[in-house]
Amino acid sequence: MSNSTAAEVDLVGDETTLNIARAALFAALMGAFAYVAFPYPLSPAPVTLQVLGVFLAGLFLGPLWGAAAMVLYLLAGALGAPVFSNGGAGLGVLLGPTGGYLFSYPLAALAVGAVAHGGLELRSLAEASVARLVGGMVLGVAVIYGIGVPFLWWNLEMTLRTAVVTGAVVFVPAEAAKMTAAIGIVRSDAIRAA
Amino acid sequence: MLSYEPGDSVAHHLDPRSKLLVQGGFAAVAFVYTTPRGLAALTAVAFGLLAVARTAPHRVLWEFRFVFPFLFAAPLLGGFAWGAWFVPEDAIPSALAGYRALLVFLVAAAYVRTTPVRDSRAAIQWAVPGRPGQFLGMGVAFVFRFLPVLRADIGRIRDGYRARLGTERSVPERMGLLVVAAFNRAFDRADRFSLALRARCFSWNPTLPEVGFSPLDVPAVLVGTAFLAIAGYGAIWAP
Amino acid sequence: MIAVQNVVHERGETTALDGVSLRVDDGEFLALVGPNGSGKTTLVRHLNGLLDPDEGSVTVDGASVPENPVAARTSVGMVFQNPRDCFVAATVEADVAFGPENLGLDRAEIDRRVTAALEAVGMTTHRQRRIDRLSGGQQARVAIAGALAMEPAHLVLDEPFSGLDWPSRRTVLERLEALSADGTSLVIVTHDLRGLLERVDRIVALASGTVAFDGPPGAVAPRLESLGVRPC
Repeated sequence: MSNSTAAEVDLVGDETTLNIARAALFAALMGAFAYVAFPYPLSPAPVTLQVLGVFLAGLFLGPLWGAAAMVLYLLAGALGAPVFSNGGAGLGVLLGPTGGYLFSYPLAALAVGAVAHGGLELRSLAEASVARLVGGMVLGVAVIYGIGVPFLWWNLEMTLRTAVVTGAVVFVPAEAAKMTAAIGIVRSDAIRAA
Repeated sequence: MLSYEPGDSVAHHLDPRSKLLVQGGFAAVAFVYTTPRGLAALTAVAFGLLAVARTAPHRVLWEFRFVFPFLFAAPLLGGFAWGAWFVPEDAIPSALAGYRALLVFLVAAAYVRTTPVRDSRAAIQWAVPGRPGQFLGMGVAFVFRFLPVLRADIGRIRDGYRARLGTERSVPERMGLLVVAAFNRAFDRADRFSLALRARCFSWNPTLPEVGFSPLDVPAVLVGTAFLAIAGYGAIWAP
Repeated sequence: MIAVQNVVHERGETTALDGVSLRVDDGEFLALVGPNGSGKTTLVRHLNGLLDPDEGSVTVDGASVPENPVAARTSVGMVFQNPRDCFVAATVEADVAFGPENLGLDRAEIDRRVTAALEAVGMTTHRQRRIDRLSGGQQARVAIAGALAMEPAHLVLDEPFSGLDWPSRRTVLERLEALSADGTSLVIVTHDLRGLLERVDRIVALASGTVAFDGPPGAVAPRLESLGVRPC
């Protein structure tokens, strides 16, 4: 039977297979989070769990596989999986006003993971100090807004002041809440897979 | 929800690569010609492309509603300069840009509705060869495969919390509980899934899904190339 | 032929398998029984190299499994408990084709194998259907087809009947019997022998990571309850 095989089968390694499966499932989870909106009084756009997802990707998958998961998320969304806010999909979302936030996710997950784990290797989070975790997430948020706001500004040809107010300032309390939630999750040891 | 639906429109029969070319070309033109005349012409083109995909524009517009707050807020806030009355001239660029985003979304929706994941995966692996392509192609296919499963998981978890008065907790606490439960389920699924992949010889060099151009793709490629040429001309010589 | 010799598998502090030996001859129909936690699932995951033994050896047709994973996984097909998490694609055809695609076979050969595998489980008419729209019994048969498309000499099924109603269970059982008659050797992991006792050639019972019984079904019947298996 195996003699009908056209070429040598180049198996994906056991650990890599697990990492690919986790990255893909995590990307799908990000998509599922997009439907979970907590009402938020300061902005017409509801607060979703997605930025929390970016934090957790960096923390639990590590900087490299966390970033890879975010790339899968964006690519799947661009090609039609309804994974963006409220079931949005397609290249149009990425090229629309909020596209910059989305484009920043791989880099943000990489930043969160690299700071929290102190490098590109995935280490046990139990050893990471709260300062490291917070530092990583603050950097992650800086990356998300650092890319998202200029993109919004350019995309909608707004004034810079408008872009900063509508695109960043109103969300600061929500991001703080998500960081608190992320710290709580890491410290509670409730996630088994790490 | 905006997603693939089987059908028999012309767009369904096109190669995914020519559809991506048309889509990319359209977006390029829209970004170069963000003028009232340019966008008026592109509106007609966008409706034409939706017709080729037999996709109703009003259904797509409904999917786009979450971006509307941004689109309306930008020109309004842009028009109110500090301490001054509303200045319409300052609001116009934002309004045009918002309309452009809408058109690009319409055309992208035509791709989404007419292209199954298998075609998209084939296009990815044609564009990105080797291991990175296999990672992206299979990874995207797995995201499509598990998205409905994980959405159902989250729905069940939320129902469980509602039943146990979870709504009385603070928002960060509720976020935390939901995320932990969803995350653990997803990782359990990933562990089982990876075993199944290994049992079926998950490899870096599989037989790839086939893509092939048909005669129908000739006009599509011409249209896409024409878009890019127009955008290139406009970008260099100014619209 | 699959040969397991003195396999030890440690899992953290506990020993999941403590010196297990097992032989599965070509064409044999074997049931692997035992209570929860006796090591059944751990043992079968050694048969195609999903786990590597800490001690001892596993060979398929004389070749070491850990050293020849591709040969082991094409020769020993595996159907998991709860197939829902194991489907790779959304439609029946795309999922069954996944294994042969990984082997790098050409499209015509993949197509022939998908057709043959679906025929073997009686799912030909569902080829283009979405898997999540199928019943539990139909999904179980698609999972078997996915393994059969590798054209394995041996097929291992972990609790294939859990969650199936009686008619679905009987359909799956009939399909498995037909495969056995065609020469595929079968290893069925179960703790419920109803409908199996009169069909299998041999029964192996595990208890706490060791082989507690290995013999013909006639000899095991009076001892089933003491082996932690539902008597029937």
